[in-house]
Amino acid sequence: MVASPDAPALMQTHATTILAFKFSGGVLVAGDRRATAGNTVVYDRADKVLEIDRHSIMAIAGVPATAWEMARVLEHSLQFFRRTQLQEMSVDGKVRALSKLLRDNFGFVLQGVGVVVPIFATYDFAGDGQARLYFYDAMGANFEVAEYAATGSGSPAVRGVLFYENHWGKKKLPKLREEDAVTLALRALDTAAESDTATGGVDRAAKIFPIIKIISRDGIRTLPEAEIAARFKSTVA
Amino acid sequence: MIEEPYRWVEAIANRREYIETQLAPGSPIAALNYRDGILLVTVGHARQKLFEIYDRIALGAIGHPGDIERLRMAAIELASTEGFTRSAADVSLRRLAFYSLSPLLKTAFEQVYGAPYLARMIFAEVGPEPEADLFLRVEYDGAIAAEAGLTSPGFCAISGTTRATEAMEELLRRDHDPKATLHGAMKVALDAWSVGAMPIAEDAASDLPSHPALLDFRVEKLRGATLEACVLERNVTTAIRYRALTANELATLSA
Repeated sequence: MVASPDAPALMQTHATTILAFKFSGGVLVAGDRRATAGNTVVYDRADKVLEIDRHSIMAIAGVPATAWEMARVLEHSLQFFRRTQLQEMSVDGKVRALSKLLRDNFGFVLQGVGVVVPIFATYDFAGDGQARLYFYDAMGANFEVAEYAATGSGSPAVRGVLFYENHWGKKKLPKLREEDAVTLALRALDTAAESDTATGGVDRAAKIFPIIKIISRDGIRTLPEAEIAARFKSTVA
Repeated sequence: MIEEPYRWVEAIANRREYIETQLAPGSPIAALNYRDGILLVTVGHARQKLFEIYDRIALGAIGHPGDIERLRMAAIELASTEGFTRSAADVSLRRLAFYSLSPLLKTAFEQVYGAPYLARMIFAEVGPEPEADLFLRVEYDGAIAAEAGLTSPGFCAISGTTRATEAMEELLRRDHDPKATLHGAMKVALDAWSVGAMPIAEDAASDLPSHPALLDFRVEKLRGATLEACVLERNVTTAIRYRALTANELATLSA
């Protein structure tokens, strides 16, 4: 992600797995709960899927202190814009606002602290009324994706799963029903956790499940833990 | 000349009279709580009159658009700064109005060489339960009429004149039902607006006009104007409780 040979520690710092993909009911964004420092697990109930406004989610892989502060600044600036200007900020404006936060933070990244690599998902009501999905690099470049995005240390595995499903699965991702989309997200995270120690996946003993949020035209819905637990039991475990 | 005390009092009195004349034609705004939150309603011509200030706070205002804009911005900035530096839970309408806006308005009003704010405002803040709802009427001179003493009546109104406001309050006292549905609350709010907007004859009896008379008046008035309403929802899971009602919702609710 960051092309600096002098900073080998960078790749280790955004240890987590975040994924998002479009399905028939909107956009699903999911993240595991583990926060790590080096090879120590410091927290197993971290929430990395953050609501920014009624229809936008920023999901974060990276250093929590910087990432949560970025989400807070982004949330406040979008709300301040809406309240003062009496209109929603455009999707381009929102995407760029996050870009700027990442770019402003790049000095810290080069010093080896505070790298953040987020995913941003929203709805474009001013435009075609469709869902929009972006991933970023640590310097602030944004890349719009058509179907899915994944970041964090477990993302190569997740990207493999999503690519496979989208090409050779029974249905392409955008055609999936919600139940199947949730199953796929849980399976993908479990796949990532299988080989990546920094991804929490599902803690079967402590009953800690990933966070899954769905953005639809009506707004953002957080899936209740009981629902995720039931789906996990019937289709993953 | 103006240094002499009685000149100053005279200047203030003139200024008050001038502002009252300017505010008199303002379209009334009614606010009241209902089963699921607080509803604010007014009728206007194109220009927006109801605004989101913060997660749980809404503003309605009559007066000069430029002055309303300055006050609205000040309120949003104060609330946002507090919400950003501390937390959204630390933003309170009571503090915003009494400690920040009121002194600002009073200073502008009494500095007779400068321009006062030509605006009358109504603020509503939705609480965790109806008893905690707060309604404030903030005047151009910084005076605040708190409709919530220890027991909130759950409604508030502003209009161009004191008499019209009193008529609105009388109607709200009679018809307001905190357990009403949004549809029921809209009916009462529209009646309150109509009472406030109706010309009051000098020798009018103190009785409120009948419901059919209010309805006829409103139907007539709404032909050349647009209905505007917003709600502060009490029991939603999102932090932002303010929501402007859409044209579709308004059509259904006011039918």
